[in-house]
Amino acid sequence: MTALAPPVRSGPSRAGRTLHAGPLAYAVLVVAVLFSAFPFYWTVVAASRSNADLAKVPPALLPGPHLMRNFEAVLEEADIGRALLNSLLVSGSVTLGTVLCCTLAGFAFAKLRFRGRGALLAVTVGTMMIPPQLGVIPLFMLIAELGWVNQLQSVVLPGLVSAFGVFFMRQYLVQSLPDELIEAARVDGASTARTFWSIVVPIARPGMAVLGLLTFMAAWNDFFWPVVALSSSEPTVQVALRQLGGGYVHDQSVIMAGTLLGTLPVLLVFGLLGRQIVGGIMQGAVKG
Amino acid sequence: MPIARAARRTAVRLGAVVLTGALLAACGSSTDGASGDGAGGEVTVTVDLFGSFGYKEAGLYAEYERLHPGVTVKQTDTEDEADYWKSLQTRLAGGGGLADVQGIEVGRIASVTQQQAERFEDLRKYGAEALENRFAPAKWAAATGKGGEVLGLGTDVGPEAMCYRKDLFEQAGLPTDREELAKKWATWDGYLELGKRYKAKAPGRSAWIDSVGSLYSIMIGQEKERYYDASGKLIWEDNPALRTAWDHAVEAARGGLSAKLDQWSPQWNQAFAAGSFATLPCPAWMLGYIKGQAGEAGKGRWDVAALPGGAGNWGGSYLTVPRAAKHKKEAYELIEWLTAPEQQTRLFEKQGNFPSATGAIDEVAGAKDPFFSGAPIGKIFGDAAKAAPVQVLGVHDQNIAQQITNALSEVERKGTSPEEAWSNARKGVENTID
Amino acid sequence: MTLTAPPAPAVPRTVPPAPPGAARRAWRTVSPYAYLAPFFTLFVAFGLFPLLYTAFVSLYRVELQTPGDMEWRGLGNYTALLRDAYFWVSLRNTFTIGVLSTVPQLVMALGLAHLLNHRMRGRTFLRTAVLLPYATSVAAATLVFAQLFGRDFGLINYVLGLVGIDPVDWQNGTVASQIAVSTVVIWRWTGYNTLIYLAGMQSVPVELYEAAAMDGASRWRQFFHVTLPGLRPTILFTVVVSTIGATQLFGEPLLLEGSVSGGISHQYQTLGLYLYEQGWGFFHLGRAAAVAWVMFLLILVLVGLNALIARRRSRKEAGR
Repeated sequence: MTALAPPVRSGPSRAGRTLHAGPLAYAVLVVAVLFSAFPFYWTVVAASRSNADLAKVPPALLPGPHLMRNFEAVLEEADIGRALLNSLLVSGSVTLGTVLCCTLAGFAFAKLRFRGRGALLAVTVGTMMIPPQLGVIPLFMLIAELGWVNQLQSVVLPGLVSAFGVFFMRQYLVQSLPDELIEAARVDGASTARTFWSIVVPIARPGMAVLGLLTFMAAWNDFFWPVVALSSSEPTVQVALRQLGGGYVHDQSVIMAGTLLGTLPVLLVFGLLGRQIVGGIMQGAVKG
Repeated sequence: MPIARAARRTAVRLGAVVLTGALLAACGSSTDGASGDGAGGEVTVTVDLFGSFGYKEAGLYAEYERLHPGVTVKQTDTEDEADYWKSLQTRLAGGGGLADVQGIEVGRIASVTQQQAERFEDLRKYGAEALENRFAPAKWAAATGKGGEVLGLGTDVGPEAMCYRKDLFEQAGLPTDREELAKKWATWDGYLELGKRYKAKAPGRSAWIDSVGSLYSIMIGQEKERYYDASGKLIWEDNPALRTAWDHAVEAARGGLSAKLDQWSPQWNQAFAAGSFATLPCPAWMLGYIKGQAGEAGKGRWDVAALPGGAGNWGGSYLTVPRAAKHKKEAYELIEWLTAPEQQTRLFEKQGNFPSATGAIDEVAGAKDPFFSGAPIGKIFGDAAKAAPVQVLGVHDQNIAQQITNALSEVERKGTSPEEAWSNARKGVENTID
Repeated sequence: MTLTAPPAPAVPRTVPPAPPGAARRAWRTVSPYAYLAPFFTLFVAFGLFPLLYTAFVSLYRVELQTPGDMEWRGLGNYTALLRDAYFWVSLRNTFTIGVLSTVPQLVMALGLAHLLNHRMRGRTFLRTAVLLPYATSVAAATLVFAQLFGRDFGLINYVLGLVGIDPVDWQNGTVASQIAVSTVVIWRWTGYNTLIYLAGMQSVPVELYEAAAMDGASRWRQFFHVTLPGLRPTILFTVVVSTIGATQLFGEPLLLEGSVSGGISHQYQTLGLYLYEQGWGFFHLGRAAAVAWVMFLLILVLVGLNALIARRRSRKEAGR
């Protein structure tokens, strides 16, 4: 599901922040951070223990020595390696494709005049709030007809449809691309295509980056449709995790090892680009 | 001619955009199918199974690969058959992602022969009709289509017995000798009676049985007619035998004899190590599962005795080759070999999956298993296999069974009244069959 | 690339641009559509068409095993739906889980945003840290929580045991299992909503605070009388988004036990999971399409209701 936050005015109005936080505020925030972080820690603990350890009372609270063994088990039993590769392929192509399609369409909506603009934009924005989940039945019938069940393009192509992305890029370009630049290019005789590549894209790049980042995370974490369209023989990470949860392997500790492996890549992205993601969400955010 | 050029360039670029998407998608699909068929006749035969067939553990793939240089067998396995079946149906409908060999549970085989025969290879193409006398007649007949197509080869059958934890019995002051127990629990009432005695002195927090669902399943396995009659009519609601099994399960639930665990769930698996239950109704194929879960530490703690209330059969499977398989001939050769009496014998000796090939049944009669305290599993399961009724199979057997065990779990875990649970089961079945 | 065209004669760039000719003008009018084409092709094929076709499919009997065979059924799927007690159960669950997950999530997010809006050390770190769960997938988060919520060997029951509370059956208890599902939702989305609120707070004009401070309003009064009213559009937005999210909850209830029926007595089955059970558990695609269409209408009603309440409230306050 994708949606956009109401545009937020930015300005010098930092009223609240002139107040200093008291010790109580810090304490509450530390608790919140612990609440956020504890499940990650627990995943590591459980993934590094044996299954028998996890069935003990009192439970183990510190990491154990079996991490590598559990990784090996999950790579062997649930083919997480293939799942990681597939997820990389799917999320990568979805991200590239989405950013391209959305920038093209966003530019047209933002700066070009044409018949039906209002109506087309309305249709796009109107479907933004509708969960794509509701269309899965015909979508499944479609890919079954095409013989695409259990093939990665069945997840990639529908993944490229992002009404939110179009709207996001439109908003971005409306604000940051001066009409005069385009006018000037037109006077110079540049074609619209040329204008797009040499003027629009450079200016849109920061917006494209934010959209790409959010799209990548959403694609990596997408669940419903991949679970329907793919299976354990051609899984994405999420499909593999669903298999793990549905009795694919015996051991709770191995399940946790799989969860850890499947989460590490996005955590890595988050670790490197967390600030940008925070910024992106605060600018006008996605959910889904 | 800047206009034309601009137009062309735009077109080219747009084309590139679309193609990029398509190419990226194609990249994805080209990684499809790990079955690398390199030069020199290298073939990877993929096998997709559920539960515990035990081939890998018994070393049968390794031996097959040795006997057939250039062939590699790659197996995937889903523990829960219900999940496996859903995924298989999706792939059959969409025509993609099927393995060369797909396992089918006996409770689904009627659906294969009656509803989707055209999606599976008729194995007569490869000369399977010559194998008929290998198998028990009922096993063979169940996988035969309306037009005489041979749609699968039988693997194991599921003669039933009762597995129990000798050490826990001893701690609770119950007899541990399998002969003595067989006499004490000659009937299901006797079994529940012992359960009450166990509960009174149970060590730790352990319960008598893992779940009442498994109690129901093993009991219904003793019946010839379960959900359908021989004419294919749905009779489960009026089947007195089913009702009796239900009532016993309800009694066990209300008596607090169950550890309330879902079979095949991670919690159930953990319970093996923790010793959360003292008895586990065990069709022969469960033996391998117990070994795998309890591990070396469980050796000598478990034992097997004859089932209360007479012989029965729970499960057993077939190996099939889907039409959409990539290596049909190689797949057939593999399943013919895997289901041959010699391999079935070895599988039983190593893993406990009881043979469906008649030649193998006599072969294993003397087998004993040290893991299960040296129990004469060949005799116990052999006797059960001979005495078990030939069951009437129906298209929705498995689905109906699941709705009933679900409803029993409600009684067991939520204290739902049996009447309400029964009506819930009916609702579930109505949803299933539509 | 197959899109090769005969090489065009090179045109010297120094030539001043000719006034737009007819062809050029034609291109001008057409080119915007070329920009829209990639998106709209995909959008129509994989977005719009499936959504609309759902209504059509819902009038037929379609089984998963034979998706090509469609048998007219009229409103049969809908009447079957309304007669199925489990549909109503899942509708009720969707509502209760929706409330159980949305309300604490948004209240906590509001509080955290208020705290983060102060001047403090490690601001960036704290913001990133509270957002961390958002990076986790539904599947991963639920598997971890399912383990923590284990009845016999779960950490949460162990901790409860330390303070003398009997083990809770987080899978089978109706309220308990819904709390477990909601906890996963709360964990994943609180940080995200915190940032949305924080962004909203930073856009409240500083003069309002100054005025309030001059009136001698305490920090708390400022929060209630300046911050909250200023945040109203943002709050409405998060309520709408969370409501829609709650309606289609799927992964959390599916993976709590791996059960498509949402527990043995459907005690935590949501509409999203009910749809999946009909389609990919029972193989009734037509019936599943009817569920999807009902969900669609439900979402429309909920969003409309939200908007209505918001308008009514703002009108009331305007008239005050």
